Amino acid sequence: MKIFPENASSYGGEVDFIFWLITGVVAVASVIVIFLLLYPVLTRRRKLTKTQRYQKGEGFRNLRLIYLGILLLAIADFFFLYKEGPTWTKIEETLPDKEFHVAIIGRQWLWEIVYPGPDGKLYTADDVKKINQFYMPVNSVVHMDIQSYDVIHSVFIPNARFKQDALPGRNITRWVKMTKTGTFPLSCAEICGIGHANMKATIIVQNKEDFKKTLTKLYKK
Amino acid sequence: MNTHKKHGFWHRYFFSLDHKDIGFQYMLTIFLMVSIGGFFAYVFRMHLAFPDMKVPLFGLVTNKDYNMLITNHGLIMMMWLALGMLLAVAGNFLIPIMIGTDDMAFPKLNKISYWIFLLSVILMIASFFMPKGGLGVGWTLYPPLSVGDFGYNTPYKSFADRFFTANTFVLLAIAFEFTSLLMGGINFFVTTLNKRAKGMSLLKMPMVVWMINIANLLFMFSVGPLVAGTFMLLLDINVGTGFYDAYRGGDPLLWEHLFWFFGHPEVYVILLPPLGILAEIISVNSRKPLFGYKFILTLTLIAAVLSTMVWAHHQFVAGIDPRAATVFSIFTIIISLPFAGIILAYIATLWKGDLRFTLPMKWALGAVALFTLLGGFTGLHLGASVFDIYAHDTSFVVAHFHYTLFPTVIFGSFAAIYFWFSKFSGRKLNQTLGNLHFWLTFIFFNGFAFPLFLLGLAGQHRRIADYRQFEFLMQDPLPLYRKIATISAVILILSQFIFLFNFIWSLKRGKKETENNPWQANTLEWQTSSPPPHGNFKVYPVVNYGPYEYNRPDKDKDFTPQNEI
Repeated sequence: MKIFPENASSYGGEVDFIFWLITGVVAVASVIVIFLLLYPVLTRRRKLTKTQRYQKGEGFRNLRLIYLGILLLAIADFFFLYKEGPTWTKIEETLPDKEFHVAIIGRQWLWEIVYPGPDGKLYTADDVKKINQFYMPVNSVVHMDIQSYDVIHSVFIPNARFKQDALPGRNITRWVKMTKTGTFPLSCAEICGIGHANMKATIIVQNKEDFKKTLTKLYKK
Repeated sequence: MNTHKKHGFWHRYFFSLDHKDIGFQYMLTIFLMVSIGGFFAYVFRMHLAFPDMKVPLFGLVTNKDYNMLITNHGLIMMMWLALGMLLAVAGNFLIPIMIGTDDMAFPKLNKISYWIFLLSVILMIASFFMPKGGLGVGWTLYPPLSVGDFGYNTPYKSFADRFFTANTFVLLAIAFEFTSLLMGGINFFVTTLNKRAKGMSLLKMPMVVWMINIANLLFMFSVGPLVAGTFMLLLDINVGTGFYDAYRGGDPLLWEHLFWFFGHPEVYVILLPPLGILAEIISVNSRKPLFGYKFILTLTLIAAVLSTMVWAHHQFVAGIDPRAATVFSIFTIIISLPFAGIILAYIATLWKGDLRFTLPMKWALGAVALFTLLGGFTGLHLGASVFDIYAHDTSFVVAHFHYTLFPTVIFGSFAAIYFWFSKFSGRKLNQTLGNLHFWLTFIFFNGFAFPLFLLGLAGQHRRIADYRQFEFLMQDPLPLYRKIATISAVILILSQFIFLFNFIWSLKRGKKETENNPWQANTLEWQTSSPPPHGNFKVYPVVNYGPYEYNRPDKDKDFTPQNEI
């Protein structure tokens, strides 16, 4: 049984890795907590003996095991942070050199994908606009200018493990590099009104030759 | 000290100044709100699992209905159930009697805060019946959508058109509720500081009193920005300003910051009182002192301070500077440490104890287990900003916050009700029905919330009325998970009727509680009659011992009431 949808982006694997890393450590911690909870629950049931101790848990000596628990969790915590830091920097803070550039603009309730025209530049008169159809070349860094006309939307590409809110009045540039050809869903993850549930686009990842053909077809229209 | 007089219905439920009566009024009002919120949950869960079905008692659910149902479910449960139950009800019932005094410092202020709370409830319910229908923008009320259905482009015709909208009414309701809780909170704070029984130093106060007060302080500290933000949003809707309008120099992100600057500490405002309740119940039922009283208190204060520095983890992908996200990610992960310490201290209280599996203890243990294992630990997943890119706004988040809030708010409240019911009513709740209620709630809560983790990991995004449009979300076994979640949620909701019946029936006909101190507890509320008279104590108690002196070596019996000489 698959837990995640198929990964089709260059950084999706790293996101999944962080999930499994944390899940693994948490699983060990859970076993410890379950033992700590179940042991007294199972063994100290209605034992009306006088063996109970008057322990108030004051001072470092009495609390040492709890401090150890906190220390172990702290080590685990900083290990996660250490592991995830570079991935975060890679996905969110850096922009690798672009091979293709589109604007993806949310509006109630559709996605406008703006492709650069024959001049290869965005935001010029010859730009081509497609509704809900996002063509992308495979294995290329695609820059997305994420924008919104009206309310907050959110670009969510599950197969790329990518998400970014689209805010009115802002242009947020993020990148994605799809490693597999095929069609993938793109949904809106931020509630945007009555049509929110219907707001979706299709990502069509093509090999570079097919993509060129698609582009020329787009220019003709 | 006041003498106890029998008061009529109107006096008890509308005009009484007694803190117990006011607490009871809050509780009944909140029961009403929870019924509405629960009903909404039932309708939209049914719709998610069986999209074409006419939901019994509601009918066909349209996208508009669906948005309205999820929004109001969230608002009611967060603002009116969680905040109301844990600050207003717990504070009113517990603080004066546990610190050994007759009433609040300002009984009339207490009454007024209830009236304002009631006003906020009325405004909230009125918002469902506005000409354009209930609010459907998600409980976080992000503008521009919360300004109108089409953001700032919404064609409003007149002021009346703008004012009589669910948007205005919900915002007014929230503002009034916060006013009420602020007034109540000031009252709790003054009462705790000035009216403690003789001999009760701050470190001899029961943990729950500490926790409610720290929660209150945190609430007071964080609520200001949200009230200001609410006011700006009200102006945007009704006067036509553009505080959140990007095209007129405003910024929609501003609201997100103001909202979550309150919204995240609010989670801890909600969490701390149940942690206090659990401390009482676990200590009493383990017959051991609470392990590390000062340690827990210190960690709570650290957590309270840290909780004001984590808010932007709700906004990792909302358009904030990604470099800022790193800082918030670090603080978010660090805040797990004090809570780990608190939970470990509770577990240490259990160890070598003499455990009694009474009903409140079952709720308390269930709360600790679920909150830690599935609520707290999945917080690490979401706190790690990288995984949050994927999980943000998916069902994984929904599952996470149901696992943090349900065990604390609902389990914690039920633990408290089963624990203190006999004290405040003088009658016992039926144990068989109570056990049935606990096990059904425990099992079917997991049945409802756990599948949401798996759905979220499969990429199911939130707040979608009909998943059939997304092929990848209709692959097996995802529709089955949705059905399991729905059927469990319905049974979960139905099993609350067992409690409701038990509560009402026991209040009138339950077995009389003959002992003043059935749990053999130390704290002061157990040292007076059940139910306590108006004024709580015949003679003001004088405190000589801490609240958790169980099994003191120098005493014969295993408990030492705080006022024992």
